[in-house]
Amino acid sequence: MEYTNSAHKPSFWEKFSVERIKVELLRTAYGQSMTFLSRFDPRIMIAWYSFFAIVPWFIHNKAVLLGLLLAVAVLTYSSKPSVLVLIVLAIGLISDAAYMLIVSLMFGGGLAAAWALSTLTLKLLVITLASIAVFSSMDPERLSDGLLSIGAPAQFSFGVAYGFRMLPILIEEYNNILYSYRLRGKSPDKKGFLGWRMLVYSFKLSVVAFYPLILNTAKRTRTTVEALEIKGFTYAMHDPKVKKLKLSYLKIRRRDIVFLALSALYIAAVFYVGSFFDA
Amino acid sequence: MSLSPLRNRLELTSQQKLMIFILSMSLYGISNMITELLPEFRVGPVELKVEYFIFIPLIFAILFNSLYAAIGASVGEMIFGELLLGQFGGISELEKFIQFSLAVFVAGMLVRDPRNKRQLAVAAYVAIGIDQLLGTIVDIAKVYIGIEDLEAVPGLPQSILAIEGFSFLNAMVVSGTLFALLPTLYLVPRLYGKVEPLLGMKPRDGRAASSIKDFVTPRFIILAIVLAFVAAAAEFLAESDNAFFSWEWEADFGSGAFWISLAISIIVFIAAIAVIRARKKQKPKGESLS
Repeated sequence: MEYTNSAHKPSFWEKFSVERIKVELLRTAYGQSMTFLSRFDPRIMIAWYSFFAIVPWFIHNKAVLLGLLLAVAVLTYSSKPSVLVLIVLAIGLISDAAYMLIVSLMFGGGLAAAWALSTLTLKLLVITLASIAVFSSMDPERLSDGLLSIGAPAQFSFGVAYGFRMLPILIEEYNNILYSYRLRGKSPDKKGFLGWRMLVYSFKLSVVAFYPLILNTAKRTRTTVEALEIKGFTYAMHDPKVKKLKLSYLKIRRRDIVFLALSALYIAAVFYVGSFFDA
Repeated sequence: MSLSPLRNRLELTSQQKLMIFILSMSLYGISNMITELLPEFRVGPVELKVEYFIFIPLIFAILFNSLYAAIGASVGEMIFGELLLGQFGGISELEKFIQFSLAVFVAGMLVRDPRNKRQLAVAAYVAIGIDQLLGTIVDIAKVYIGIEDLEAVPGLPQSILAIEGFSFLNAMVVSGTLFALLPTLYLVPRLYGKVEPLLGMKPRDGRAASSIKDFVTPRFIILAIVLAFVAAAAEFLAESDNAFFSWEWEADFGSGAFWISLAISIIVFIAAIAVIRARKKQKPKGESLS
């Protein structure tokens, strides 16, 4: 409620938060070139990540999951993720857990039900932290080239790079449109019960603001695609020589292999220790 | 590119498809990011949550090529809403990707005339209905399969059913009306004929009347079912504990789990080495080019 009410009189908190979100997103999209994980080859990082994205699903041993969580948490810390991302993650986790707990208590399952569900939460946490660690420390261009080299469609890998770079501009634009609507529009005189009038008003604005945004983005997209085509994007997409030339800067060095080997050793150790704690 | 008869004007060039893809991707991505960041209100089990702005891909699916709009939106969600915000869920994203693309695609194909409000309304509810229904079914099955001692815990099956059933109804009524129906009814007629020229296209004059018959062919239905099955299978595979990796062995064989896990990590390591080797072989050619 706080958030929408403050739309009426732009308070310090509201301004602060929107500006803050933009800054944080910029930092996520552009910063992070000197973290621990960013030194490795993107393909190695993708391989490493795909292990952590898939394997936790198959593990039902809490000790092993905790071991993986520890490693991933340390790596996440080293990649200096933005506070915003962590807050979003924390809110999601806490509300999910609380909701599950309340409902299972209501149906008489008690804490045992919550314990059974906590394995799932643990798995999700490992996967999420791994993705934060990897993707917040990789340069968009390197990520997109890595994807391209392991055979992702060119449109997808282009989309990744484009998305990361365009995002701050799009947010800025949406924000500006919202401001201009708010400036010229008339907000409701009375807030109504629990501020529902304000809620409806801000919902309406947030939808209506997409109309100019869609038109502007359409224009911008056309420019982008024309620029791409002038440089022969579609042609290059189907030519293996171009791909090779484009990706020739990616090299797997010794430190990549050492990193993978150490990870494999650690994981083996975790599984070994975890097998004693089998519940 | 060749001089085509007038009726073929609506067939898009690959550049135009790329435009639709990028447009849908970036706009749905941005909206997804906004909805991820917005707070949710919970009054007991009643959850007033901004689920997603499904109307954005829906608009593009209705006005342009449905397939590219749908896939673009799913990619956008993955990139902006998940990768960038660190919410990427690994293998379960595949299921989300397929079900969302399918929902938007089918809904987009349903509309023949973008000015017909009834068709727009049907498409809005169909889109959210397909997406939510598939998601709910998969979610319920996921918990049933994923948690071994489900039966041992009293009250858990009922509570899962209650949660999922409620959130489905909630999504259909709240999100379906607020985020699919009203925005679509408002935006599509306004954008129709305006946004197409910006992309260098001709507004579609009603998708050719036979389009639905052309589309809902046996091949399409089979493809849809197969895709849905693949999505569900990916989920179940990930969740099940006795399909491929029998972790129940752990109790019997003691260190069995250790050897299996060691094998997995070795396989991953060897695969990585193999990739490196393959790269190395190609390297000389790359250098000679540069």
